[in-house]
Amino acid sequence: MDRPIAYDKLAREDRFVRMRARDVGELKVEQGLPPFPDLASRESIRERVHGIMVGELQAMEGAGRTVYDFPDAPWEFTMDMARQVWDESRHVETYLGLLEHLGGRVGEFPESTILWRCACAEDAAARVAGVNRGLEGLACDVFNQLIHIAQKIGDPIIEKSVDYVLADEITHVRMGSRWLNELTRGDAERRRKAIEFQETIDERFNLGGSRQDGHHELVPISIAKEARKLAGFTDEEIERLVKSTQRSQVY
Amino acid sequence: MRVLGGWIALTPELPAKLLFGRHVWDCAQHADLWGRRLPELRAAAHESAPANDAMVAFTEMLESPEGPRQTLERIVGVYGVLKPHLVTIYARHLASTNAVYEPPTRRILVRCLEEERRHAAAGAIVLDRLARDAAARARVADWERRLLTVLEKAGGVTGDATAPLVDPAVLGVTPEVVAPDLVQVPPDFDPAALPADLAAAVDALRKSLESGDDAGAAAWIEPAARDALRAAFAPLAGRIAGTRVVGLAAIGRQQMVKLRIESPRAIGFVQLRWTQTASGWRVAAGDLVSTEPVSAAP
Repeated sequence: MDRPIAYDKLAREDRFVRMRARDVGELKVEQGLPPFPDLASRESIRERVHGIMVGELQAMEGAGRTVYDFPDAPWEFTMDMARQVWDESRHVETYLGLLEHLGGRVGEFPESTILWRCACAEDAAARVAGVNRGLEGLACDVFNQLIHIAQKIGDPIIEKSVDYVLADEITHVRMGSRWLNELTRGDAERRRKAIEFQETIDERFNLGGSRQDGHHELVPISIAKEARKLAGFTDEEIERLVKSTQRSQVY
Repeated sequence: MRVLGGWIALTPELPAKLLFGRHVWDCAQHADLWGRRLPELRAAAHESAPANDAMVAFTEMLESPEGPRQTLERIVGVYGVLKPHLVTIYARHLASTNAVYEPPTRRILVRCLEEERRHAAAGAIVLDRLARDAAARARVADWERRLLTVLEKAGGVTGDATAPLVDPAVLGVTPEVVAPDLVQVPPDFDPAALPADLAAAVDALRKSLESGDDAGAAAWIEPAARDALRAAFAPLAGRIAGTRVVGLAAIGRQQMVKLRIESPRAIGFVQLRWTQTASGWRVAAGDLVSTEPVSAAP
């Protein structure tokens, strides 16, 4: 088996329709719709849940590749990544259940492979920075918002399910914080590149600029500062993230 | 652990993908337990070596099926050969260990035995679900036989194991017991998911394609998209033998319909974006997303 594999080797059942996130967003905007689900309706929540489900699938696939791709990495790193594979598989199961709960089906919306492509970075430190800290950090924000919406609409199934998943995501971000430090100890250049990769992700994958600083009631997706602090983000990093959202590309 | 982890992304079928995903962590813990036990027995921690070159050959063969249509080989290799073999070896080792001197090893063996038995049984369920016809079952039997032959040459994972290398008598977990361990995967795509008016339009386009009626097919495609669609279909040139709707995804009010198209030499998958016009549903754009030789397709 190659180490690593090419992006386009990602295998899917025929029922999945794969598209670029940018193309999907543009087509929706052409129809006068928001580029990303605004969670204003049950269908919109279903679309978001479907997007998270395929994200969890890709996170499982990415962590699995990390277990395989780096046989010389520290054993504890491999153990953490193996644990993450299991967590992500349970998250897929959770979101399959939520999709059913919402009357949806697998493949109901297009899949983009943003997370997977980030998970194919050649350096293990870049992967944990980009996926664990960048994208799983974004997941903390998104899940926090979903929990808030579920509370508002009185759906304890979504609320409790997502809350359990959020706890795992915080753990994964924390793993990312630990291994970013340990894998790059004594190698400032490697650390710089990994952090740069994460910052690129923070800036680009910002849900159309809807992730912002502020209370849930005031902004579309609130940056989950408490969850991020639990996960090992420093105040300075959170502040930098807040600033990056103010100059975000529409994605 | 590593091979299962690497395979997850390469495996299309959700039941198999999630089976591997479930078990990577168990395997990692088993490896960790053995790795930590080693220095207690005056060996280096977390260091291992293959028993012999034949065992290396077995491992390389085991992980060699990495194509998207080789899921059956992947499952039978790990769940039909390797894990049942480990169960066999663990059971023999457990039976031969001293209950006074070796409880630390025995505890690890008991845990690994129990979990590997469950893994093997879970793998058998998924294999049974995916190996739907006689040809698939023959593939499974052939790969299993080939792997066992190489494993026998190696003398098993220890290099000195005696036959049988897989002893069904020690597996002992029924499918019913282990069924709750598996993720309940939703049923396959049902074309009934298409709204009736869209289904009628898609069926009409499919019939035109299958009958070679280019003008009839073009009538379902927006004029601006016809050239691009013609180019997309070019690699499938020749008579279209059959088409099937395999996926449907919503993009706002538009619908992306995924078709499997069979021509004499290739199978292609096209994604057609349908939009509602004054004349009804029409294809606004489309792409050929993949092709494979007929011989490779299931």
